[in-house]
Amino acid sequence: MAPIPINLAVEDLLSEAVLRKILRYSGRPYAIGTCFCKGGYDYLKRGILGFNNAAKATPFLVLTDLDRAECPPVLLKKWLPYPKHPNLIFRVAVKEVEAWLLAHRDAFAKFLGIQRRLIPPNADDISDPKQLLPSLARKSKKRQLREAIVPSLGSTARIGPDYNGRLIFFIEAAWDVTAAMQNSNSLQRTVQAITNFHPQWGEMA
Amino acid sequence: MIVSHAILKNWRNFQEVNVALGDRVFLAGPNASGKSNFLDVFRFLRDIAKPGGGLQQAVSNRGSISQIRCLAATREPNLEIEVHLASAAGKSPDWKYAIGIKQEVRGYRQPLLTFERVWRGDDLLLDRPDDSDKQDVLRLTQTHLEQINANTKFREIAKFFEAVLYLHLVPQLVRYPNAFAGPGLAGDPFGRSFLERVAKTPQKTRKSRLRKIESALRLAVPQLTQLADTKDEAGVPHLEAVYKHWRFKGAKQREDQFSDGTLRLIGLLWSLLEGDSLLLLEEPELSLNSGIVSRLPGLLYRLQRQKKRQIILSTHSSDLLSDKGIGGEEVLLLTPSPGGTQIEAASSIEEVRALLEGGLSVADAALPRTVPHSVDHLELFK
Repeated sequence: MAPIPINLAVEDLLSEAVLRKILRYSGRPYAIGTCFCKGGYDYLKRGILGFNNAAKATPFLVLTDLDRAECPPVLLKKWLPYPKHPNLIFRVAVKEVEAWLLAHRDAFAKFLGIQRRLIPPNADDISDPKQLLPSLARKSKKRQLREAIVPSLGSTARIGPDYNGRLIFFIEAAWDVTAAMQNSNSLQRTVQAITNFHPQWGEMA
Repeated sequence: MIVSHAILKNWRNFQEVNVALGDRVFLAGPNASGKSNFLDVFRFLRDIAKPGGGLQQAVSNRGSISQIRCLAATREPNLEIEVHLASAAGKSPDWKYAIGIKQEVRGYRQPLLTFERVWRGDDLLLDRPDDSDKQDVLRLTQTHLEQINANTKFREIAKFFEAVLYLHLVPQLVRYPNAFAGPGLAGDPFGRSFLERVAKTPQKTRKSRLRKIESALRLAVPQLTQLADTKDEAGVPHLEAVYKHWRFKGAKQREDQFSDGTLRLIGLLWSLLEGDSLLLLEEPELSLNSGIVSRLPGLLYRLQRQKKRQIILSTHSSDLLSDKGIGGEEVLLLTPSPGGTQIEAASSIEEVRALLEGGLSVADAALPRTVPHSVDHLELFK
């Protein structure tokens, strides 16, 4: 199988780690080139025309959080008024990529050492995953983990000092795509899109 | 133990400072606002407390009192430093140490203590000048902190100051130590004898640290493997690594062939693994790729947590301060003014706080305030 070159464009380190895991999981011969990540969705929004244009040469996989937008198609239309190039895979995590981590309920509950029932069964229904995740971690009995993920009392930070580090470790070590897909429709569709992607070259593209 | 509070009077850029410090402190401010001078307070205390150090030497290392004293200090000529040491951030202090220093009016113009006080909790253990000081003024040229006989009751804080570690590794100095003649600087701030420091570490510790550094380096500089220390024919210590290339075995390279970034990263990781004392870092982002810099705060946190040590660092880096895990209370903003530089926690400035609460990172909310007002005129400079 010929390798499929692909570049990533993401909002944060967590999304990058998730995409890398899904690409590996897909079983397709993806060869990841550059990861475009400057923090925040505004960078993706500003860059989307460029990513779409560059997709002519190398496929691009863009992942953003839905946040408060209505639904993924509306978001894409707002961002990209032009026709989307077929080699641009544009995916949206509902509502945020943190929900995808929570979607593997067993593993996440075990990771934090909390009860499984505290994690909502349908991850896409969580209204504010970025807020829910630290508040679940606050219940954890593992002190070091808690202090790394939850901001300290009175801090203006919304996440703890090693939030990314700990969660990326979770993604690498325990997060299972198959299990997480069961509880998140947006993740499932993203995995399908990645698994079924065929780059189009030449005239057509 | 960490420095939980610093109160300064007339110290270099600062006429008055009164700030709380946490496990990690990020100093941000325009050029020449006093970031390094703030770090220098702790180096000054180290220079007093370390063996062979003392007040006179700590001052003469820095020139003289008139060079340390704030230029804006007009009303009060004296310098004052007070630090509180606590077991953790936000806890009430276990120790307080305070000194005041002035310059002798005539004669040798030596630095003299105007006072020296030590508290354990709230108990005042030492309060100078005492009667003997009044009888023999020469005694005021030395602190009790620097004297083993006199600091018995508060040896713990002398040890704490003595262990303070400062790093601002200059790659050229590591590569060409012999090109910079003369005696080394106290505490080797710029890493000229960094390789000796590595070589003098007991073998087991040294090997394990280098292994750890190598595993981190492999992620940042994938071509570099097998980091080890070695000695040349003359017994001079070196660092060595295998640089992978098209030949099967790769090529051995020594520190003089390492890149600036590689050397700075090695120095940074080494000092993080070395000891558990207060660590002062000067712009750790220098020479490093932005992808690495943006991951530094998390890395520093992980390594400092293991040893419960405090890190105070200066930075200009937006990549570093973009980490959303950094709270506004961890960032001290330095703002120069005609009356001396002001230091305040970013979160204590209402506007910055509002921006942070609105979801901006510290880099976006606070760094724009550190850009000098007249910088737009640079466009007109020809």
